[in-house]
Amino acid sequence: MDSAIAAKPAPLTEPPQREATRLCVETGLTLLQHGAESALVENLTRRLALALGVSRAEVALLANAVVVTTLSEGHCITTVRRNEDRGINMHMVTEVQRAVLAAEAGELDATSYRLRFEAIRPLRYPRWLTSLMIGLSCACFARLIGADAASCGVAMVAAGVAMAVRLQLVRLHFNPMVNFFVTAFVATSVAGQAVIYQYGATPKIAMAACVLLLVPGYPLINSVSDMVKGYINTGLARGMYAVLLSAGACAGILLAMSVWKVWAWL
Amino acid sequence: MKLLLDLIQQMALATVPAVGFGMVFNVPVRVLGYCAAGGALGRGLRYLLIEGAGLPIEWSTLLAAAAVSLIGVAVAQRLRAHPKVFTVAAMIPMIPGVPLFTALIALAQIQRTGLTNELLAAVVKNGLQAGFIVAALAVGLAVPGLLFYRRKPVV
Repeated sequence: MDSAIAAKPAPLTEPPQREATRLCVETGLTLLQHGAESALVENLTRRLALALGVSRAEVALLANAVVVTTLSEGHCITTVRRNEDRGINMHMVTEVQRAVLAAEAGELDATSYRLRFEAIRPLRYPRWLTSLMIGLSCACFARLIGADAASCGVAMVAAGVAMAVRLQLVRLHFNPMVNFFVTAFVATSVAGQAVIYQYGATPKIAMAACVLLLVPGYPLINSVSDMVKGYINTGLARGMYAVLLSAGACAGILLAMSVWKVWAWL
Repeated sequence: MKLLLDLIQQMALATVPAVGFGMVFNVPVRVLGYCAAGGALGRGLRYLLIEGAGLPIEWSTLLAAAAVSLIGVAVAQRLRAHPKVFTVAAMIPMIPGVPLFTALIALAQIQRTGLTNELLAAVVKNGLQAGFIVAALAVGLAVPGLLFYRRKPVV
């Protein structure tokens, strides 16, 4: 017990406390930008602050900002960072969490943590591979709803083409709602041809399945998880965002159905 | 026998979307296998509970999501990563995408063609179904934290 007290490091002076606060807010911001749920962001940020030697840390999450306050020797430092969405990236979340765990285990100090944190680069799968896999996924969804082989093929082509369009629009930094609108239009237009030319026995299922790549599953689940864990404001913001993305996709589907005159939802 | 064959088909079909959406969420390569396994387990368990035990879809979804999440905690501690890194992708085969879009399209139809009982019923029924299933998925995933890891972090 005595040795534990003796081993406790001295309180931080101002410059290291400032550096620790910056590291914490940047860690929290990176986690929030790449789609971690609020409870995880707050928990990891606070644990990192304590691992870096401050005596107390408070984290407040807003819909599009992070606030961190650290306390050491009776002095507070508070800092805010604006959050802009970078898209869901679980690789970033995993690597940041491992860096925090290493700092907590005492393997990293502030300097080496910064080196490791700044060296993390987001993983991106090749676009053609993602498009192919999403095409196959939507074919599986069509099969699960009860489509025949021809309609599964239609869903696969429509969803694959739509995913390639979506990834290209992401690269060009279009607003996500515009992106979902255009992608849904492309998917429904491709699948609508099967309805017009009577290809396959279940073309309506293909039309419904090919837009399932646009269901905002991650924001919807994060929204409910946040609210269950008491983060009502971030939960509401994420839920509203998911509904708006779905509405954008829905508008794209409706426009495509009007243009091609195929009113064939399930 | 038919139940078993259907179960195998459901589980096999669920692995592909779990991996596909895992790639959209940029799940690390070595973790993608856990997405596939979780997707197959969740969808298969839900199918058994609905078809075998006769439970309603929302409760089946909740139990299936909780099972995946509880196993996910054990895997996550070995991987040193948060379980949500792969369990959310595993939930994708159970996401109610068709009811969600059906509700929104029926809502837009009301604006175009006027209110009918059928359209209003489609909006409310599909919207509620989508909401209940998403809530069941999210609460199911939170079960380890709500029951066992109340005061300490999972990883």
